[in-house]
Amino acid sequence: MGKHRENNIVAMMPARNESGRHLCEVLNHLSQWVDKIVVLDDASEDDTFEIVNRNEKVIAYKNEHCIFEENESALRSKLWELTIAQNPNWILAIDADEIFEDRIIDEILLLINQEYYDAIYFRVFDFWSSKICYRIDGGWNPWTTFWPFLIRYNPDISYYWPNREIHCGRFPQPCENFIPYYSDIRIKHFGWADAKEHYKKFLFYRDKDIKIFGQIRPHTQSIMITPKSNDLETWQEAKRLSFLKEVYS
Amino acid sequence: MSKRIGILTTNFYSPDGLRMIYGGAERYGFELTKLLMDLGYKVAWWQIGSGWQKELLHGVQINSIRETKNEFMTFPRLNQHFHEQAMELDYAIYFVTFLAYPQVLEKSISISHGVFWDYPEFDSQLPTESAKKEWLRRYHIALSGPQKVVSVDTNTINWINATWPGLSHKLEYIPNFADINSLKPRGNASNKIKVIFPRRLTSVRGLNEACHAAKVLTSRYPDKIEFHFVGRGHSDLLEAEALKWASENKNIYYYWQPPHIMYEIYSQMDIALIPTKATEGTSLSCLEAMASGCAVIATPVGGLTDLIIDGYNGILIKPTSSNLIEAIEYLLNNEDERQRMGKNAKKVAEAFDIERWKQKWEKVIKQVFR
Repeated sequence: MGKHRENNIVAMMPARNESGRHLCEVLNHLSQWVDKIVVLDDASEDDTFEIVNRNEKVIAYKNEHCIFEENESALRSKLWELTIAQNPNWILAIDADEIFEDRIIDEILLLINQEYYDAIYFRVFDFWSSKICYRIDGGWNPWTTFWPFLIRYNPDISYYWPNREIHCGRFPQPCENFIPYYSDIRIKHFGWADAKEHYKKFLFYRDKDIKIFGQIRPHTQSIMITPKSNDLETWQEAKRLSFLKEVYS
Repeated sequence: MSKRIGILTTNFYSPDGLRMIYGGAERYGFELTKLLMDLGYKVAWWQIGSGWQKELLHGVQINSIRETKNEFMTFPRLNQHFHEQAMELDYAIYFVTFLAYPQVLEKSISISHGVFWDYPEFDSQLPTESAKKEWLRRYHIALSGPQKVVSVDTNTINWINATWPGLSHKLEYIPNFADINSLKPRGNASNKIKVIFPRRLTSVRGLNEACHAAKVLTSRYPDKIEFHFVGRGHSDLLEAEALKWASENKNIYYYWQPPHIMYEIYSQMDIALIPTKATEGTSLSCLEAMASGCAVIATPVGGLTDLIIDGYNGILIKPTSSNLIEAIEYLLNNEDERQRMGKNAKKVAEAFDIERWKQKWEKVIKQVFR
């Protein structure tokens, strides 16, 4: 059973060659509502490591060689170990191109300072070729699937990682059985917001698909299919419930 | 060794196991489970589903049974499979009355969460006289089996007593509850009156009328009022549409929250809308809004008349949008009346404190599970 007050959150973030993308914006936003941010720089060739170190809440580490492209679970596992060394009550798994909508700032303490739920799930909205619209066709539909981003850390549990090259999940195995809460606060994912990056990312996932599944999956193919106008929706930020922040002020 | 209690319900989660239902009945289920555990019982749940298992609370398993067939508003196959899987159980609770058809464990209790046959589509689900007769026959068997039938409202008790007087000795009135110590009015610090619709997004809860009222009144009083629609829908699409709809109006909010945050939400609200049309018991939302000092606008449906006395702690209306608009406008423009009704609502809610609910349940449990 967890504590119902004074919980802390440690965010864990893998990063590689994020300079000039969304990293500063993501870190600035996170700094408003988490206690520490553990960043594992996966052998960036740009100034990612310098950028993250400028943020006061960041505890940064850097790999000498890139791990992600060979084995995602090895990278996630290393990041997990570095994160739990910070004695977190809650762990947030977030990427360098993901930002929660501002509602989280007012509501986070209420979400974590309770004893019942051990995993908080959120929906991810993939912004497409801009920071204005997100994609909703096929497997991009953000409204239907919730993912675990925030879990209560219990040092008495044995955690283990599946040995997968890709899509190994952000948390180790037992976390998927934690009692969940499905939050309506949304996450903006800017990983597809720059159209210039699409082809490079398509090639990466195409090669992984062929290696792992023996074929290119339809979702990967859809990266190179320009969505129709009705496959895109304009983002509207949900209104903040600022009165909730006063509960802890 | 702890005695084992099995609780059979229809849906705590959606049948695929992916979506937890955050309704009042499920909240009731959590509190009942916690009470049973405090009394030293080992508890497990069963529901309709595709064969999955989950942990509902720490140490409490929920199992799903691959049976969905509904016959005359009963689930005989679900009931049968529950009893086949429940060999090691000492006692059973049928979380919905009709699940106690056709058989029950010898020492068992069923729960009525309110009349459900006033639902507008109920008539079309049993379209012939013979179908209605068969439903009544089965429902009588379901009510006859358990040793006690706990009813959350007097409406159900009155209906059963009038229909089958011979069952009256089984009926126990234990109205729903509010955690009075956790629900406190904090006072709305903003200059706008906050109105909450704290229900699931379904037409039977008066959603459409409440949306219309919100649209009209935020346009009429843009600097004076805001509406909070707080609750999940039955589908992702509906929730997405609700969020888009609310985004278009600066004074309309749509979101959902877990129960412990709902306490903080209620504490900031001035008026609660419970414009239910059917299938209502003694609504937890209504009680929690009352305990938080909200003036309530409700309907004389189900068990709501056990909670609201028209003109004393709220206003009872027929659930039309024009009635809703009129009642909200009255409370908006008559602060003294709104304050008076809110204070009275809080006072009345004290009679429904969760501690009293636990004591009443404990008494029934001790009578049956021995």
